Amino acid sequence: MIPMHRRIVTAVVVALIVSGCRVGVPVTAGPAAVQAPQSPAEAAVPLPNKKGSLKFVVLGDFGTGGRGQYDLAAQMARFHEGFKFGVGILVGDNLYGAERPQDFKVKFEVPYKPLLDAGVKFNAALGNHDAREQRYYKLFNMNGELYYSFKAPNESVRFFMLDSTYPVPEQIDWLETELKGSNDAWKIAVFHHPLYSSGGRHGSDLKLREVLEPLFVQYNVSVVFTGHDHVYERIKPQQGIVHFVVGSGGQLALGDIDKSSALTAKGFDTEQTFLAVEISGDKMYFNAISKEGRVVDSGVIERRMPAGKTQ
Amino acid sequence: MSNAIHLRLASRAAFVALAVAGAYAKDAPPGSIDQSAIVLSASELRAAEEFEARVRDYRALREKVEATLPKLPKRATPEQVDANQRALGALIKNARAGAKRGEYLAPDMQALVKRILAAVLSGPDGKTIKASIMDENPGVPDLSVNDRYPDAIPLSTMPPQVLKALPKLEEELEYRFVGERLVLMDAHAHIIIDFTDDVLP
Repeated sequence: MIPMHRRIVTAVVVALIVSGCRVGVPVTAGPAAVQAPQSPAEAAVPLPNKKGSLKFVVLGDFGTGGRGQYDLAAQMARFHEGFKFGVGILVGDNLYGAERPQDFKVKFEVPYKPLLDAGVKFNAALGNHDAREQRYYKLFNMNGELYYSFKAPNESVRFFMLDSTYPVPEQIDWLETELKGSNDAWKIAVFHHPLYSSGGRHGSDLKLREVLEPLFVQYNVSVVFTGHDHVYERIKPQQGIVHFVVGSGGQLALGDIDKSSALTAKGFDTEQTFLAVEISGDKMYFNAISKEGRVVDSGVIERRMPAGKTQ
Repeated sequence: MSNAIHLRLASRAAFVALAVAGAYAKDAPPGSIDQSAIVLSASELRAAEEFEARVRDYRALREKVEATLPKLPKRATPEQVDANQRALGALIKNARAGAKRGEYLAPDMQALVKRILAAVLSGPDGKTIKASIMDENPGVPDLSVNDRYPDAIPLSTMPPQVLKALPKLEEELEYRFVGERLVLMDAHAHIIIDFTDDVLP
């Protein structure tokens, strides 16, 4: 049993950390809550680690084959020991440079071997550094498609995996049909180019936003995961939607976040980072975890409700 | 040209103009692109139709050579993907031996592409669209028809507004920018089918 004073502190921390999110719900950790070692400066909201919840990680811009990628992959494997996520969401730039068969090994299969061996199923979207043939690579589970959707193994969650480097009108029409036809409680969009980003190198893709955001708003997408900028950033909710940039899975643009940006809810650009997520009912808990194992951002998001419905 | 043909071409041009303008109206705030500037003239419409016919011919050729290869499974190993891609690329190169620049992006099509892109990029959002195209797009000094698309060069981002304005392609063919060149590439075989220089204003 968690002491009352700790519960109150936790609730306050949640409200502070995720200010700007549609949150504010008190969060208490269950007995099996999982937390990576924390930054001394900031307490984290633990992932509840509930039985039957959907647990997954998000990773982007990782396929360098370099030390940063390998160190973060090792951290992910350690984290998996206490938090048994079954899904890995890849937001693109899965392999940099050459894509010979040995590159798939060095830049993906070797670093994530412990996770692959443990049965983690990765689902990829493609970035601008990715050859189109990656869609046939069995471990990316794209089944030959450049854009696709899939239902999560548990909870009412559907991921919409888009190809943002080549958004032909047919893809936009497909997306609208898929979103419209989905009755899932959580609709989550995944693609490479961020609609919102404070990264100095790329920043927000305004023209893509013009096309995608109206659909996300209309059809109740709750969360968007992207990469491209080689940083971690959680954006203040935009039209009720929470956007994450998770682009430092191997690459890192040190100090690249524009500190004066009004978009940033939380940014981290000094170490490679992945995002661990747990969805339980109407709540999504998240921990952004650095290469050194620090929780650099955390919080809770409540899903968007269809118009006219309240929780 | 008879009045009947003239009328038919004019009405088809108007149809294309309406379709394109209607598409923009759905996605872009009014006024972000000068819609009247992307209306195709009768001669441009003919150029686009001839281009699309050449693209269909390419698809037929591609399907013919691809049919000689073992089918690539949708869940393949990297070795299978690589072998299939390189074999397909070699077959296409062989079937198109002697291919030259301008066979697909012929001069009238080049003119159309340049005018459309100038129209799309001259609007209030032109700078933003061009910035998106040029993002991680350093270009390369030399390209050749039938060569493999350079492995080290990232694929340019194609803004949806540009893709909507350009003539439609058959599956597996894509437009990409390499620097300020527009490249027509076979996305699976990783082969440059054609390209044209200096298309961006």
